[in-house]
Amino acid sequence: MRYLLRRSLHAVFLLLGVSLLTFLFSALAPGNYFDEMRLNPQISPETVAALRAQYQLDRPLPVRYAHWLNAVAHGQMGFSFAYNSPVAPLLWARARNTLLLTVTATLLAWLLALPLGVWSAARFGRAPDRVISWTTATLLVIPDLVLALGLLIIAVRTGWFPTGGLTSVGFEEMSPLHKLRDLAWHMTLPVIALVLATLPTLVRHVRASVAEVLEAPFLRAALGHGLPHTKLLYGYALRAAANPLISLFGFSVGTLLSGSLLVEVIMSWPGLGPFLLEAILARDLYVVIGGVLLSMIFLVAGNLFADVLLYWADPRIRTAVSAK
Amino acid sequence: MQPLLRVDKLVKHYAAGRSAGSRDKLVALDGVSLSIAPQSTLALIGESGSGKSTLALCIACLEHPTSGSIWFEGIDVAALHENQQRKFRPRIQLVFQDPARSLNPRWTALEIASEPLIVRQDTSKQERENKALELLDCVAIPRRLASQRAHELSGGQKQRLAIARALALEPKLIILDEALSALDCSVQAQISNLLLELQSSFGLTYLFITHDFAMAAHLADQIAVMDRGRIVESGPAENVLRSPSHQVTRSLLAATLPITETPGVGLEL
Amino acid sequence: MKQRRKLMIWLVILAALHGIIAAAGFFAPYDPVEQDRERPYLPPMHIHIVDAHGHFHLRPFFYPLRLREGSFDQYEEDTTTIVPLRFFERGAAYRLLGFVPSRLHFFGAAGARVYLLGSDAYGRDELSRILHGGQISLLAGLLGAGVTLFLGALIGMAAGYYGGWRDELLMRIAELFLALPWLYLLFALRAFLPLAVSPLEAFLLVVVVIGMVGWARPARLVRGVVLSVKEHDFVRAARGFGASDFYLLRRHILPETASVLLTQAAILVPQFVLAEMTLSFLGLGVPEPMSSWGNLLATLQQYNVLVSYWWMYLPAFAIVPFFLGYLSLASALQERAGAYKIEEKGNWNPS
Repeated sequence: MRYLLRRSLHAVFLLLGVSLLTFLFSALAPGNYFDEMRLNPQISPETVAALRAQYQLDRPLPVRYAHWLNAVAHGQMGFSFAYNSPVAPLLWARARNTLLLTVTATLLAWLLALPLGVWSAARFGRAPDRVISWTTATLLVIPDLVLALGLLIIAVRTGWFPTGGLTSVGFEEMSPLHKLRDLAWHMTLPVIALVLATLPTLVRHVRASVAEVLEAPFLRAALGHGLPHTKLLYGYALRAAANPLISLFGFSVGTLLSGSLLVEVIMSWPGLGPFLLEAILARDLYVVIGGVLLSMIFLVAGNLFADVLLYWADPRIRTAVSAK
Repeated sequence: MQPLLRVDKLVKHYAAGRSAGSRDKLVALDGVSLSIAPQSTLALIGESGSGKSTLALCIACLEHPTSGSIWFEGIDVAALHENQQRKFRPRIQLVFQDPARSLNPRWTALEIASEPLIVRQDTSKQERENKALELLDCVAIPRRLASQRAHELSGGQKQRLAIARALALEPKLIILDEALSALDCSVQAQISNLLLELQSSFGLTYLFITHDFAMAAHLADQIAVMDRGRIVESGPAENVLRSPSHQVTRSLLAATLPITETPGVGLEL
Repeated sequence: MKQRRKLMIWLVILAALHGIIAAAGFFAPYDPVEQDRERPYLPPMHIHIVDAHGHFHLRPFFYPLRLREGSFDQYEEDTTTIVPLRFFERGAAYRLLGFVPSRLHFFGAAGARVYLLGSDAYGRDELSRILHGGQISLLAGLLGAGVTLFLGALIGMAAGYYGGWRDELLMRIAELFLALPWLYLLFALRAFLPLAVSPLEAFLLVVVVIGMVGWARPARLVRGVVLSVKEHDFVRAARGFGASDFYLLRRHILPETASVLLTQAAILVPQFVLAEMTLSFLGLGVPEPMSSWGNLLATLQQYNVLVSYWWMYLPAFAIVPFFLGYLSLASALQERAGAYKIEEKGNWNPS
């Protein structure tokens, strides 16, 4: 319990540090949202000044930070200049879309990576393993940008998939089943892009960890006991190789919000990514900070989750910790 | 005659816990006192873990003692500030046990022998090379090996090189921390003779740390025995070997040399 | 040794690839900013050696393209004119490696422009733009990696050598930097700096921003090396004859970090090239008319380009051989160093 408390405290510190950094970055940057307005001769300087005062842009930095921290503690995240509405609901709406994509992609990637990695490790050095290694190596060499753009071009030229958006026109009028199908159809391409991007690394890690474990004497003993192959691989080997994989899984959870930015932008998926980009370009301060904080929360939560899982799964860690 | 080195109640603690400021500490030196007369050899004997290496590092000004003083030529070097200590370090040189680790394996013999002079920064490249070659001569390393890399030399040659390097800055005191322990017997004999020669040529004083009584018997004028951070017995070599008074000395002697103990007469080799 | 040979092979391949990009002026047939408004969005031209009548020509040639009858965007080859390809042709002026003026090009044609990879909206030759764009992207990656490794080495050495509270502090900061969602912060950092700057300033800005982002991991690795080397007796011995900290770091410790730094370089350079591409693609990097692989791809964000002009995707392939080269080099270096580690993927998540 103390261990978890310590890790949580650590996480909170991390979050505070990051929020401070981000706040500093953005507030120190030259230019703000209202610069554009100032250039516009139709809007009087007094209006601009009034708006600035309203958003408290003329207060000193520490004051603004303190105000913002206070707001966050109450579950609000400031105000968006561009959308003229509180930041939090805007972010949640977009984050939901992103999570729809990334949760699906992550689950899929792991569901594929585990058997592929284990199978590969079981046939280490032989033909199936080599094929998988080659494929992952090739995929690794192709960057996400190239992959996503390529898929988009395929979509466009074949017409099999839509080239963007969450839903088709007339979504509201569809039956629930149709809605689901429509959503899935729109999701396919981005999910494929994300899976292809993350799968190779996952497979390699699984393969490496399991291969290492397969060499261990206790496994040969188990083999000698006459355990069936699959049970051996999944029940024993995978369990033993779990530690680094759990950390990796924590990392996967952590990047649920931040890992899909590029894909979302390219495939016009209305998620957190494009929203943040827009905000950055428009210098919509609180949206940017809120977005970064949200992703950070996920990252930190992911690590914490991995720590908890490790603690629960590995008796060695439990005893080491309680011995302190 | 004033001793060259006098160590007075030296104490050294190491923090043993993982976090800084932890309560657990490891007591390496627990009030060590000894003295060495100029141009003599003191052998310091003890088992591993007795604190010998820590003592060596403290005397060589490479570690700060927790308390106590180290009087070298009349000055308490333990109390000096880092910058002043740096000026003293050349006068007390250390030769380590494993020359494979104490010499940078990628450097050549010449580079290693001349390194101390580079640090001094007041000599030209040519001067340094000449001096380095002279040093190699002193320790009987053939000049043709000067451009060999350290990892290509034999164990005995490496240790000679380490000694040559220690001599470069003309030290007064050389601490040999188990310097012969890693070598073959015949090589040990050669090098201990070399050490004796160098001592008389250059007027050196040795602090010879070892766990081997036979070595000590060959080289030392005085012997001190160390156990768990304390000196338990010291005195002229003859006396300590013939009639050891402390239990630790006796058990160490029994372990290293074939002896017979005759009650009333003492030990005989 | 087999490992050494593998290393050498990849080094040679990478050197050759870099050489081609470095000599972009020579290998590119045209000036990358030279426009030809009459010929926007021409598809790639085919090189033939057998003409429409079945004759064999010794010198490869191409047919200029003309608009098909009654169409605005369909092109066909004009088989009435044969334009031979010429090698080592004199063409537009450029400066090799930035300072040797020359007019010599690897190939060209007289009488018509040969668009081996098609043309863009302004009739500029894609091949030339890709080659020159590579200079920007690669340079950004290399310089960025340089900045990162320099920072990382400095901080890692300071933390490892001095230890104590300095070490704690630096490593906590490093942990913070490692934990941040990098893509976001990179964009935020870049975008919150002035958007409208000259191309050169934009480029430098990109380099600095990229460089400042990734120092944490190299710093940790360097620190590890320093911690272990610091305890070696030969370092102790050097301290024993009065060596200053600076001397020890420079002559004994730094050489030991070389292998770690090299491996990190091989991993970081492609990541940073990709970072520049991503920034430029999203409009936060190098602006027009400077070409980089990133902003060449930016046109694909327009729907009509995506649908009709597939050759605008070709710049995307330019980075693939470099990725392959660098990642293989990194793998070979790691094998040589004895530890076989899994290559990290080149997506922008340096964790």
